[in-house]
Amino acid sequence: MGRSPFAADLIAVGLFAAVVLTMPVWIVWIGGYEALATKIVIWAVFALGFDILLGFTGYLSFGHAAFFGTAAYTTGLCLKHLSADILPAFFITGGVSLVVAFVIGLLTLRRSGIYFSILTLAFAEMLHAAALSILQAYTGGDNGLTMHTKPELLGIRMEGLNVFYLAAIVAILGFFAARQIKRSPFGLMLRAIKENAMRLEYTGVNVWAYKMAAYMISAMYASLAGFLMVVLEPYVATKFLHWSTSGEVVIMSVIGGVNTLIGPMIGAAFMLYFENVIQAFIGEQWRLVLGLVFVLIVIFLPGGFVDGFNRIRRAVGLGGRERHHNVPDAPAPVRENRGDRAARQPGE
Amino acid sequence: MSSDAYFRCEDVHAWYGESYIVQGVSFAVQEKEIVALLGRNGAGKTSLLRTIARAHQPALKGGRIWLDGQPLHDMAAHEAARAGVGLVPEDRRIIPGLTVEENLIVAQVAPPVGWPLERLYEHFPKLAERRRQEATTLSGGEQQMLAVARALARELKLFLLDEPYEGLAPQIVREIEGILMQVKAIGITTIIVEQNAIAALELADRAVIVDMGEIAYDGPAEEVMQNAELRQEYLAI
Repeated sequence: MGRSPFAADLIAVGLFAAVVLTMPVWIVWIGGYEALATKIVIWAVFALGFDILLGFTGYLSFGHAAFFGTAAYTTGLCLKHLSADILPAFFITGGVSLVVAFVIGLLTLRRSGIYFSILTLAFAEMLHAAALSILQAYTGGDNGLTMHTKPELLGIRMEGLNVFYLAAIVAILGFFAARQIKRSPFGLMLRAIKENAMRLEYTGVNVWAYKMAAYMISAMYASLAGFLMVVLEPYVATKFLHWSTSGEVVIMSVIGGVNTLIGPMIGAAFMLYFENVIQAFIGEQWRLVLGLVFVLIVIFLPGGFVDGFNRIRRAVGLGGRERHHNVPDAPAPVRENRGDRAARQPGE
Repeated sequence: MSSDAYFRCEDVHAWYGESYIVQGVSFAVQEKEIVALLGRNGAGKTSLLRTIARAHQPALKGGRIWLDGQPLHDMAAHEAARAGVGLVPEDRRIIPGLTVEENLIVAQVAPPVGWPLERLYEHFPKLAERRRQEATTLSGGEQQMLAVARALARELKLFLLDEPYEGLAPQIVREIEGILMQVKAIGITTIIVEQNAIAALELADRAVIVDMGEIAYDGPAEEVMQNAELRQEYLAI
């Protein structure tokens, strides 16, 4: 008898929790350190949220740094001027992020494909430019925003493992929530939007509202990551709003495996491990090597690490379904009794 | 043209970018009537159907479209669907990546809902057999069946069928014909666009022939069947 989907979720989240919660121990065995574990978990939250938008709906945002950076600055300003306790900062950052996500979503989700990507990039760049110019008095401009007191949570100093466990709880709850969303009727609608939004409109569905909801959920994950980043290191760099931050989360998703939830988080771990540990062995060429890894994965493993893992499972006879990765040049899996027309109507 | 018709297009103009496709079309359909919208390739039939369904393309730039007193011309595609328009587009007519049942479920998310799943499965037992199967693995005929079922899953006031027989084997065409005869018996107001004019005329009460984006003929379907000259001039059959 098969497991119920909820039981499968519990097992998956349980395994995930076990790996995450023990990370400060095992990361040391492979040359890492505690703060790297925290960074990995925070970026995993960012990448997980990104997959809710890209993986579920197929909308590729090149401007998610807007939410990561805005949340980081809001948290930084709250911690600096309001209270060293992170709770007020958490709620204020949540509110600000919701407004920013709604406004950017409102202006970008009317378009799809490359136009959507460019619009999101433009908004993130505008925020980055604003942080360096008209908002310089608040953001510290090029110097970034530095807090002079350590953040606290209800009197507990947020440093070291305290921050790690806070981030780990957010990641575990975030992973559980993402799996629930994927399996829910809402998740089904997002899948349908990804496959053919226009056909959904022909059945009376306001597709835009669903896209907006997915966009805002995804933005909230990015904002949580931005918030946690400032709790970890009480400093906000302008890089948090820079396009390269948006680019990094795209790369993490692609090398890990889009639409797998776990894949982008593995991608985040890989990227940060590479940047912080492998770099020590290969020196300044690490970016070149990372670029090469990225190219090789896109060419040979369009479904990322998760695809590679599934291929190995199939090769050793442990089963696992072949996935179609929505990559234009990738061969589609052979389907029996396939319908006699496969071409999608452009614009339909 | 009757001004109190159940459905009517009044001087409809639609454009695909710079291309002027639907050039001032007016016609009406009575409740429960089946109209075959015919014409040569490129005459603008599909464009007209998509305009009625308020698809993003072609863009409606003039004229009015009324369904049961509701102004479709003021609506977006999803609003027109909620007003009772059900379009079965040409080519692959289902949502790929979803199972048969998921295709039916997503069709019933927005109100008004039509037939319940049980009734749809009763009517289309093949779909019941394949409910857990990915819809793209169905044969062409079965996909068409699913597309019709997706339309019936909603409360329909106007059923728009675009090339329902296109690319199907003769045996499958007969099967789909049977399904559409059942739809006719239910009494759903329908506009059917079909290259296979004879098949469409057998089903329809009335024919509207579109030529170069304009209405060239509007009359009984039987008359087109009997008028060889008309058929030759506009339909090349």
